[in-house]
Amino acid sequence: MIEVEHLSKSYGPHPAIEDVFFTVEPGEILGFLGPNGAGKTTTMRILSGYLPASSGTARVAGYDVHTQSMAVRQRIGYLPENPPLYNEMTVLGYLHFVARIKGVSAGDRRKQVDLAIQQCNLETETQTLIGRLSKGFRQRVGLAQAIVHNPPVIILDEPTVGLDPRQIMEVRKLIKGLAGNHTIILSTHILPEVSMTCDRVAIINHGRIVATDAPDTLMEELIGRLGYGVEIGGMSQLLTQKLMAISGVREVQVEDIPDSARTRLQITCHGETEPGSAIANAIIKSGCQLHEMRRTRPTLEDVFLELTTEEEPLPTVDTPIDKVDGDDPELIVDP
Amino acid sequence: MTLLANIFAIFRKELQSYFLSPLAYVVAGLFWLLSGIVFVYLLLSPNGIIQEVAIGEQSGIPMPPVDVAYIFLLRYLGIIGSLTSFIVPMLSMGLYAEERKNGTLELLATSPITNWAVALGKLLGVLMFYITLLIPMLVLELVAFAAADPPVPPAVPLVAHLGLILLAAALLSLGMFLSSLTQSNIIAAILTFALVLLLAIMDLVGRQLGQPYEGAIAHISLIKHYENLVQGVFDSSSLFVFASYIILGIFLTAQSIEILRFQRS
Repeated sequence: MIEVEHLSKSYGPHPAIEDVFFTVEPGEILGFLGPNGAGKTTTMRILSGYLPASSGTARVAGYDVHTQSMAVRQRIGYLPENPPLYNEMTVLGYLHFVARIKGVSAGDRRKQVDLAIQQCNLETETQTLIGRLSKGFRQRVGLAQAIVHNPPVIILDEPTVGLDPRQIMEVRKLIKGLAGNHTIILSTHILPEVSMTCDRVAIINHGRIVATDAPDTLMEELIGRLGYGVEIGGMSQLLTQKLMAISGVREVQVEDIPDSARTRLQITCHGETEPGSAIANAIIKSGCQLHEMRRTRPTLEDVFLELTTEEEPLPTVDTPIDKVDGDDPELIVDP
Repeated sequence: MTLLANIFAIFRKELQSYFLSPLAYVVAGLFWLLSGIVFVYLLLSPNGIIQEVAIGEQSGIPMPPVDVAYIFLLRYLGIIGSLTSFIVPMLSMGLYAEERKNGTLELLATSPITNWAVALGKLLGVLMFYITLLIPMLVLELVAFAAADPPVPPAVPLVAHLGLILLAAALLSLGMFLSSLTQSNIIAAILTFALVLLLAIMDLVGRQLGQPYEGAIAHISLIKHYENLVQGVFDSSSLFVFASYIILGIFLTAQSIEILRFQRS
């Protein structure tokens, strides 16, 4: 339903997105994840026809976004980062206006507007001026305008920003309910939401796609990266070195617990190894007291941070510090 | 036809927003106040036309028969034309600047409606608002002309007001283009004021220079053609000139919005 190939956009010399490549199947929900400034909004704007790309192609519902813009616009609903609301109109008036310009025929308009109002829980505010609405309601009106004409493709740029947890849940329910009949692409920072609503996730960083896959698959890639959370007393540098020396251990993070003599260690391990007993032995043998030890599994947050954090080589006296794009090559899944 | 429906949707929205806008009411109030004052002054005051003719008749100087209504119309619409030129910037300034500022242009740009359809709809909306401003004025004139002797042929004020509406449409169209260049209402208003002044100066200068410049400038001067229509000279060239300005404004607006697409960041 949505096919994006080699999409690039530069503002002068500065590239916003480069060689972006992903597809969304009909009826699917794709989550678009990335840090601020990664290029999410730029990509969404290109898909909606608001921005022209510098190069590459994007096709929505079989129509090219650049050469067949009108056909694309008839088939999409778009909620930008800031909902495009007319403050002097009432909610009902606004939705009728949007239905008109999106081409909903006069006979269907009433029904579609009522349906959108119902789906977005706006029944109590239909006669209220938009300028007087709270942020949550404004966001919902924005959502309503994206779905009022029942478009096959819906593009949502941060649909839950500014909503309270209950409203977020309602929006999530709404989006999940729309899937199947509609193809949805949504961008967000809120990671748990992504794993709960989206069928697939595309992670973008610095204008490039670094991973596209189902959230579970992405997390499975890291499942091998088991870890252990350990709370000990009597911490010493020696222990850290001993732990690093264990073959399965990749990294040890040390955190002092304030107001106590205890320290918390987060140990991440390689691949499929389970150096649990080796770790416990090392701790006991070095004379520390082991208070707690448990397994930790990675979350989508870890995947996100993993894929979007740059690795810096440890600074030494002689070499200058270089920033290197350290996205782990193991985790770039070819779409 | 969806195209007409689209244009009508934009027209309706624009017109509604003017009726809901405090600024529009202030402008309307000002316009009515000033046009009313001018009306009364021109017609009834000691310097007004009625007194003028009466004095002329009493003084015994042989005077050609004076069509009071006609002269009144000329003077009145002359002033109203200038008044219109001053309030048009305030009406047209928000047409696109507000949309850009509020982010609602994004909605129009991602909906299946063309740039020029939006521009046309907006122009019609604001023009219709202007026409409603004229209605009380028309009522006053009807009352005044009903008492005129000899009776006024209806074509005369009709053509005159057509000229007024065309003048407003041309200025609104150009003002709409200037509004599309900026996010600030005020800058749009200032630019439009400047344009109005420029046109006035151009016309003035044109009259001072001899031929052939005078003729050339008169051909494209909005003010000259407005005067023609007010005088009842219904020349198709006047219609062409007005239509050209109106279409120019719409065309430039559509282009400027399109160019905006490539400037966005």
